[in-house]
Amino acid sequence: MGESGVYAGLRILELGMGAAGPAATRYFAEQGATVIRVESSVRPDFLRLLHARPGEPVDLDAAPMFALLNPDKWSVTIDLRKHAGVDLVLRLADWADVVAQNFAPGAMEKLGLGAAQLLARKPSLIVATSALFGQSGPQRHYPGFGGQGSAIAGFNHLTGWPDRESIGPFATITDSLSPRYVALLVAAALLERSRGGGGQHIDVSQIETGVYSLSELVVRCSANGESVARAGNRDEGASPHGVYPCEGEDAWIAIAVATDDEWQALVAAMGAPGWAREPRFATVAGRIAHQDDLDAKLGAWTQQTGAYLLMARLQEAGVPAGVVQHLGELLKDPQLAHRRHFVPLDHAVLGVLPYERSGFRLSESPGGFDDSGPLLGEDNDLVLGEILGLSPAEIEQLVADEVIA
Amino acid sequence: MVLSSIRVLELCDEAGVLAGKILGDLGADVVKVEVPGGDLGARRPPYLGGICDPERSLAWLALNTSKRGITLDPEPSAGRAVLHRLLDWADVLLDTFAAGTLEMWGLGWDAMHRQHPRLVRCAITPFGQTGPHSQLRARDLVVVAMGGNASMTGDPDRPPLRCTLPTSYYHAAPEAVLGVLMALQAREASGRGQLVDVSLHECQLGTLLGGPGIHGTSPQPPRRGGARTGRTREIWPARDGYVSFGLRGGPARIPGLRALVAWMSESDPPPDWLRDYDWERFSPNTLDAAELARLEGCFGAFFASRTMRELYEGALARRILLAPCNDAREVLAHPQLRARDLFTTIEYPEFGASIEHPAFFAKASDLSVGVRRRAPRIGEHNDEIYRALGFEREEIAKLVAEGVV
Repeated sequence: MGESGVYAGLRILELGMGAAGPAATRYFAEQGATVIRVESSVRPDFLRLLHARPGEPVDLDAAPMFALLNPDKWSVTIDLRKHAGVDLVLRLADWADVVAQNFAPGAMEKLGLGAAQLLARKPSLIVATSALFGQSGPQRHYPGFGGQGSAIAGFNHLTGWPDRESIGPFATITDSLSPRYVALLVAAALLERSRGGGGQHIDVSQIETGVYSLSELVVRCSANGESVARAGNRDEGASPHGVYPCEGEDAWIAIAVATDDEWQALVAAMGAPGWAREPRFATVAGRIAHQDDLDAKLGAWTQQTGAYLLMARLQEAGVPAGVVQHLGELLKDPQLAHRRHFVPLDHAVLGVLPYERSGFRLSESPGGFDDSGPLLGEDNDLVLGEILGLSPAEIEQLVADEVIA
Repeated sequence: MVLSSIRVLELCDEAGVLAGKILGDLGADVVKVEVPGGDLGARRPPYLGGICDPERSLAWLALNTSKRGITLDPEPSAGRAVLHRLLDWADVLLDTFAAGTLEMWGLGWDAMHRQHPRLVRCAITPFGQTGPHSQLRARDLVVVAMGGNASMTGDPDRPPLRCTLPTSYYHAAPEAVLGVLMALQAREASGRGQLVDVSLHECQLGTLLGGPGIHGTSPQPPRRGGARTGRTREIWPARDGYVSFGLRGGPARIPGLRALVAWMSESDPPPDWLRDYDWERFSPNTLDAAELARLEGCFGAFFASRTMRELYEGALARRILLAPCNDAREVLAHPQLRARDLFTTIEYPEFGASIEHPAFFAKASDLSVGVRRRAPRIGEHNDEIYRALGFEREEIAKLVAEGVV
């Protein structure tokens, strides 16, 4: 984002793999920070392999997910198994304001790049580590992905039909929830540092950010012994509250009526059919008591109309309702277009892809993205030459020694 | 500490309360404003001990820690005048007013910024302050539907799903706090506040981890698969619940697959074909259906014969990527979370109750992150705060008599 963002001039060094790490630093890249990602072709980020098929050669620059999660970042390839490689990372840490890493606990320590080691070398550094269970505790070495994080934190038990498996929301919620906490903690530490605060280690457990978000679940259990369980789309205090079929294939509308006024608006929008005027549906309590019947009758009505047309009619009447949008429909969503949520950027291998902005806009600091996700090692010369001040001969030697690899 | 000097005025419904809590748990001085008599929508059931009393709302107690509480009706002109005094006091206004509400009160952003130039306003709405959907009504279910996640969550033969607790609010809260901290960082240089325009809907897209760009234009986009990811099972019945175990290949999962087969052979020798299975060539996308069924049959029988706890303990010992789909009780009892002291007990002497809450969302060596005080009772801090703002006792009494406070 160049010079205009809140964090223009801020320097972030990122080490790690997967989705949870890069999603956190992307917020700062969106606001002008320089983010250098240390990678290697020896042990590539598994996001760069997601599109690969067994037995076929893999192009490490052809993974859309990696590119989409890493816009405006620089990539340098350093083999951390080599002593000279670790030395280069230490010199990049000297350059950085923030080091963010999400390797397994202990991995960086073995290399001499752990949080305590970096802080001993440079006390003003902000080191953010993100791991499934955090950096301490008996299960910290458990090797899990977001799928395990979602299950352990309780999200799976809360998602699904009561008579079927506990499935969890799509795309492993701790992978998208935890980076937001990493980012706000780094922002908080930077704010402190700008008024004289020092560096520090921020230890994020992805599962703990999930459990913290589920404070209501924990408190209800501790206080009343209750274990909230998955209830399809139903809500304890609202009805009708569900997803109903619409005309067309896999077309659905979500309707969330919480008040009697909204119910009356829905009844009017339906043309006040006889069933909807029955007294048993007049109050929230009555509608909840008879919601199987209510849902069936409402669904029979919704499926006569296309989802977008129905949403417009219901919203016009004052009923909270929205289309279940498919991934492709999001690309055409007029509100997202208004907010310029998708930023089309060209990538040398993947072509133009829609890169995504964060969920908020600052009125005075618009921010944004200029460059697609980096090719592997795309910025080696820039990082080694301009930032670390190595001569072309020195860089050549590092390449020959397979330190840059 | 900068954060402990930040004053936040929170006027939020359920979509924003967690953002206020995060700021409070970071040390900010958060004052929660309720209407006189209490916000009965947010002080919703269930109640502590099942006794119907808004002071006993467990959702309220869970999500309003580390805040002080006052009552105010900002709509009448006397209330509006008090609101201005509070805005003079505050660094941050955190609110969930529907787009256009403050404009109707003559307090749109331009006017507010003119009168309170250092104030940061963070406005959380379903779709944002402007644009074609800014006036639409939405609750969590509608946001999750419009945001794309629901279309991918749930069983193929039933309607799309949300999580039973409101995850769209959980995602937006840390992102809103990040926006607030960015605006405060910018204020360090400019001396001026700005508007942070948070869209619950846009935050929800972050859960897709690039999904629209990866699959949005695909002729055969993936569909929701219930307990499956792609073709293979992810959620499996155990003897007493469910476990998450991705039957997928790749370098990160192959050691666990081998370890699982070895574990299975301890009790019951597996068939030769499974013992000698070539996991390097295992590819779920191209697997023959009969072979897939054979694999799933073996693993499924093993999981179904053991409890979640037995499976998890075995997985921990063998580094298998398997996790229990915990319910609330299991979350509260999880040994790793206990070892990190994730839970703290808050006393509620007037109810004779002690309740455990998640204590923090991260550990940090310098930032102090954690629950500071219990959620406020209705108007608990009226005297303290209005007196500190310079209101005389008689003025406060008059406001109370008028029903403004």
